[in-house]
Amino acid sequence: MIITRKKNRKELLETLKKFNNFFLIGCSECATLCGTGGQEQLDELKGLLEEQGRTVKGVFVAKTGCQVLGTKVELKKFKEALDETGCVVVMSCGAGTQAAVEIFADKPVYPSNDSLFLGNMTRLQMFDERCSLCGECILDKTGGICPVTACPKGILNGPCGGTKDGHCEVSPEIPCAWVRIWERMEKLGQTEEFKLMTLGAKNWSASIKPRKLNAREEKK
Amino acid sequence: MNFEETLNSGKFVVTAEVGPPKGTDIAALHHDIELLKGKVDALNVTDNQSAVMRICSLAICKIVLDHGAEPILQMTCRDRNRIGLQSDLLGASVLGIRNVLCMTGDHVFAGDHKGAKPVYDLESVQLLAAVQGLNGGKDMAGNDLLGCTNFFQGAVVTPEANPLAPQLAKFEKKIRAGARFFQTQAIYDVDKFKDFMVVARRFPVKVLAGLVILKSAGMANFLNKNVPGIRVPEDLIEELKAAGKEKALETGMDIAARHIRRMKEENICDGVHIMAIGMEDKVPVIMEKAGLI
Ligand code: SF4
Repeated sequence: MIITRKKNRKELLETLKKFNNFFLIGCSECATLCGTGGQEQLDELKGLLEEQGRTVKGVFVAKTGCQVLGTKVELKKFKEALDETGCVVVMSCGAGTQAAVEIFADKPVYPSNDSLFLGNMTRLQMFDERCSLCGECILDKTGGICPVTACPKGILNGPCGGTKDGHCEVSPEIPCAWVRIWERMEKLGQTEEFKLMTLGAKNWSASIKPRKLNAREEKK
Repeated sequence: MNFEETLNSGKFVVTAEVGPPKGTDIAALHHDIELLKGKVDALNVTDNQSAVMRICSLAICKIVLDHGAEPILQMTCRDRNRIGLQSDLLGASVLGIRNVLCMTGDHVFAGDHKGAKPVYDLESVQLLAAVQGLNGGKDMAGNDLLGCTNFFQGAVVTPEANPLAPQLAKFEKKIRAGARFFQTQAIYDVDKFKDFMVVARRFPVKVLAGLVILKSAGMANFLNKNVPGIRVPEDLIEELKAAGKEKALETGMDIAARHIRRMKEENICDGVHIMAIGMEDKVPVIMEKAGLI
């Protein structure tokens, strides 16, 4: 999922200062799990705005905030409130915010969160980055652990000289990706195979921005 | 004889290194090169060592050449993508630089420009393969070169890495990618290094044992605690302690000389790489103590 973090509330309120009427949109997927854009956080921001004497015309947790058409349909029932709204605040990720930008051609749309990374929830509200969306998955060759993401240098062929007792040179908080990969390969009996295989330079043209995918076309 | 020929001649080889300064005053560097030339077989020039921005390795390698000494161009993958790396390699080649040491490179995080974007488009194994490609007349994209390179390419290895097995796997990959010589991380336990050399001797590569001069027991403890892949055994720390403050550096040099002597006499490896880190003037002293000059 997309991991998000709340922007500093004081700074956010400062940014929103020039508006009086708001509509807040959350998301029931990632942002709810991250505790950044569920009902609770929407109510919290609503309270903060109201404390400052501003009006919140409506709050709504979209089913999937990055889905443009679906969200547009869901928002139909709030037409009146939205018409009176001067600023839409989106409390999900950057994609959710830009879905709203597409829906509200003539209204300012502001994000309440910073979007951080694609990751996994390891425990309640604890997140690890696991995938860099490189466009060319190599997990089949690296014991199922992604070195492009888990190794700060993105090394593809084994540990650098900086690994110390299983930790990364960059920080003792980071387990060395290549020690983890090696240990898993040992369990799977894949180390011999690994020794004989060299991964060539990655093809970064697979991740030139902005990317687009037409899955309909691909199905044909 | 150039560095490659010297290694192949069976002579016990000595390399040292110079670190380019931050800034354009290279008076001290000229001095160090003059001091070491004729004594060591080749001089490594570090590449923005520890990710601290300094004069580029390439320019200083040319200066080493101008002094009539033989440089080893250290190249890390931290600051240049594959276009930059290959381009600099071609540049090095036309300047007459023959030896290149391929490394992934310390992370930006270790250095003095912490906000810089780390590149790592390639890593050591892939850089070695790229050098091999250029030697064969092709760039990484498979294009033909107008005139190929003739590099003698090497890499680094950490015999004291913990865990060791994945490090050894990578060592093999580096050899398959074209590494022809290795310089190791600092070695302080010669017996343990011998175990590593049993593995290394199975491959057609030359190995130079890395040496860093111990200045004090405190430095040894610091290395043990903070530097990955370095382990100073307890008995050496005791020896340094016993020597007292005054004599610690002398003892550190004696230890280095003793290790060199043993490596040479027992034919453990093909030579040594002395990393003096600011004490370049001590390199000839150690070589003399070891009976090499
Ligand atoms: S120590 Fe491990 S995780 Fe850290 S940069 Fe080196 S190989 Fe990557």
